[in-house]
Amino acid sequence: MSLSRSPSPRRGGGWASPGLTSPYENVSGKSSPRKTYGDIQMNGSASATGENVTWASAKARSEEINGYPSFSTRNNGFFSRHARKISTSLPTFSLGGRRDFADKEKLGRGRWPPIAGSRTVRYLQRTGRVAWRFRLRLGIVLGLLLAYILFYATPLHRVYRRTSWLGGGSKYVVILAANQGGGVMEWKGPREWAIERDSVRNKKKYAKKWGYDLEIVDMSTKKRYAHEWRESWEKVDTIRNCMRKYPQAEWFWWLDLNTFIMEPSYSLQSHIFNDLVANTYRDINVYNPLNISHPFKSPHLDAVARSPTGNGRKDSIHLVIPQDCGGFNLGSFLIHRSIWTDRLLDIWWDPVGYEQKHMEWEHKEQDAMEHLYTNQPWIRPHTAFIPQRKINSFPMGACSENGEDPKIHYSERDRDFLVNMAGCEWGRDCWGEMYNFRELSNKLNRTPWEKFKDGLSDGFRALKARFAAKKEEDEDVKS
Amino acid sequence: MHFALPPRKTSQPPPYARASRSSPIRRKQLQVGGLLACAALVLIWLSTYIFSTSSEHIPSGTPEVVIVTVLDEATMSQDYRDRIIENRKYYARKQGYATFFPEVADYEIGTSPRSWAIVPALRHAMTKFPKSTFFFLLSPHSLIMNPSINLKSHVLDAKRLESLMLRDKPVVPPDSVIRTFSHLKGDKVDLILTQDNEGLAQGSFLLRRGEWAKFFLDTWFDPLYRSYNFQKAEGHALEHIVQWHPTILTKLALVPQHLINSYGVDIASRGGKEVMHKEGEFVVRLVGCELDSARYCEKEFDQYYQQWKALQNKGSI
Repeated sequence: MSLSRSPSPRRGGGWASPGLTSPYENVSGKSSPRKTYGDIQMNGSASATGENVTWASAKARSEEINGYPSFSTRNNGFFSRHARKISTSLPTFSLGGRRDFADKEKLGRGRWPPIAGSRTVRYLQRTGRVAWRFRLRLGIVLGLLLAYILFYATPLHRVYRRTSWLGGGSKYVVILAANQGGGVMEWKGPREWAIERDSVRNKKKYAKKWGYDLEIVDMSTKKRYAHEWRESWEKVDTIRNCMRKYPQAEWFWWLDLNTFIMEPSYSLQSHIFNDLVANTYRDINVYNPLNISHPFKSPHLDAVARSPTGNGRKDSIHLVIPQDCGGFNLGSFLIHRSIWTDRLLDIWWDPVGYEQKHMEWEHKEQDAMEHLYTNQPWIRPHTAFIPQRKINSFPMGACSENGEDPKIHYSERDRDFLVNMAGCEWGRDCWGEMYNFRELSNKLNRTPWEKFKDGLSDGFRALKARFAAKKEEDEDVKS
Repeated sequence: MHFALPPRKTSQPPPYARASRSSPIRRKQLQVGGLLACAALVLIWLSTYIFSTSSEHIPSGTPEVVIVTVLDEATMSQDYRDRIIENRKYYARKQGYATFFPEVADYEIGTSPRSWAIVPALRHAMTKFPKSTFFFLLSPHSLIMNPSINLKSHVLDAKRLESLMLRDKPVVPPDSVIRTFSHLKGDKVDLILTQDNEGLAQGSFLLRRGEWAKFFLDTWFDPLYRSYNFQKAEGHALEHIVQWHPTILTKLALVPQHLINSYGVDIASRGGKEVMHKEGEFVVRLVGCELDSARYCEKEFDQYYQQWKALQNKGSI
């Protein structure tokens, strides 16, 4: 590179070197060398032209690295060049002023700058420092929190609840008897459809929540049975089919259609099975509406058969049934897969018993079960009873001869698990009851946020009503 | 800081210093701890194993078979009863078995036929002999003619039973659609029955103690069967439950009649000469003598009793 002439001193100091400056301008397309905010302030308007280059300013500029010369290979692309232009054209602030002087005292170096903020700033800084000191523990806590949120936000919790060796949900099957007596015998109206829809949805939600299997069985009087002897005794066959269909499951919960799970937040495990012995009673004398004499007195039986509570152990319970005011109630009961159960299901229906009793046994399997329990000693040591309101609360319409009974009827305050609208098809309004209980269940199981919102809207409504009443009063007074 | 030589370690370590994770002492502690844990686990496993099997443990000296014969004060003379007891006891002493002679009056059978008493009597025997394995029900109107027969090797042994079992045979002759299972293991059998030309014989059979036996007896004794007026009372009830309930049929083995149920009288409808008692056979049963007013059980019994006594005096049995 040759200069057209030798650099010559200028009047204002410095020198002019057109050969050095012109290529910059041609390549970068800038009209003037870049200046920092400080420079402009310091040098005023003189430096704007770019001609007034002093030694001091050039040195200062080269000390603050402002970028690379434009003739380098960088910033050749259109985008990068313009992007760089935008960023460089933004003003920079150096609030501390130009630090071209030496610090006088060096005592505060390397420490936090003196606290100049308000109290909240100081407080924030202190918490920040504490958090930093406990960063490991804090990290663990935050990690756990994140894991917890992820567990419930994703289907992971459902997998957990279902797995047999974790939550154990796959060990339970809910059998819902839909379409009872329908089919050939009678057509369903819109109300029956609504009942079925609500009931099924309720159980589906519950089974999904806890990882149980739900088996909806069609109990309509089938052609296969309609002309046959054992008409509508399908309960036994159904349970046996379910046991075959779910070979991993252990407990089967039979539910009639006219039932509603009021508290889906109760799992079967926590509600009943974790402490099966405490949640059930083996001795029927605790509540004995049928007046069955218990235990057997006859000395020809063994000790377990003569004991009022069997062997008292959890693993000997294979059938859990509630009792209502009229005896056993099989609208909601639990049965366990076992050899004992196979035998029970095998003899539950017998042609000789059926032939003698089918006119008398209005409730079919239920009466047959009562008969077996009363007469066959091998049944009792493996049968347990569960207080009715644990799995089978009644609405006020059922068993109401003696008024409200705290053993039988649903209590909102105790948050009973399930309502069985037993016998509603005989002169009561099934759909009405189902609807009311559904709404009540929704109301009882609102989230806190929903409760808050409802509380607000209720409050407004009350206020509004009061104002309206007052206004009316005033108008009355006026008139 | 860097020195030419590493700084010397102090010979008195600070008291709060803990052993480093890989120090030899620590490793030793871990080893010992691990061994102790393993030992504890093994102990727990062993103890559960022992305790779980202890309920099935049968003390030595327990009679393996109990012979159950239900007597009836109301219809049998004292002399007759004594002879029956003598016959059973003699056999039991020879083979180390136990005997049990309950009375019909011990059980509440209501208005049903007195023959139903055999069902609660068996349940009673199981209560009285809770460790014995097999219960041999033998009708009173019968005699054990060959006391040298050991029931274990005669029928009860699993292998022997498998070779004797009548498979795929109509449960009730001649042509019941329900047939005995063709694939049944000897050790799964809980009830060993015979049948004659008329049906299942409930006068002489073997039953294994267990939960199944309780279920079977209780089901058999259901009041609805007793009130049903089966023509042959408990016999027909037995045929009924065997045919209608597969959980009972799966435990049943039919064996040839002469093994435990030879007849002492020639009745054409019951099989005639073919099933008559032959020398050396185990039992002779005077089938149906208590129901037929033309026959006298004690008289028929006496004939075989003398025969049995003669053999006994000869020393051949």
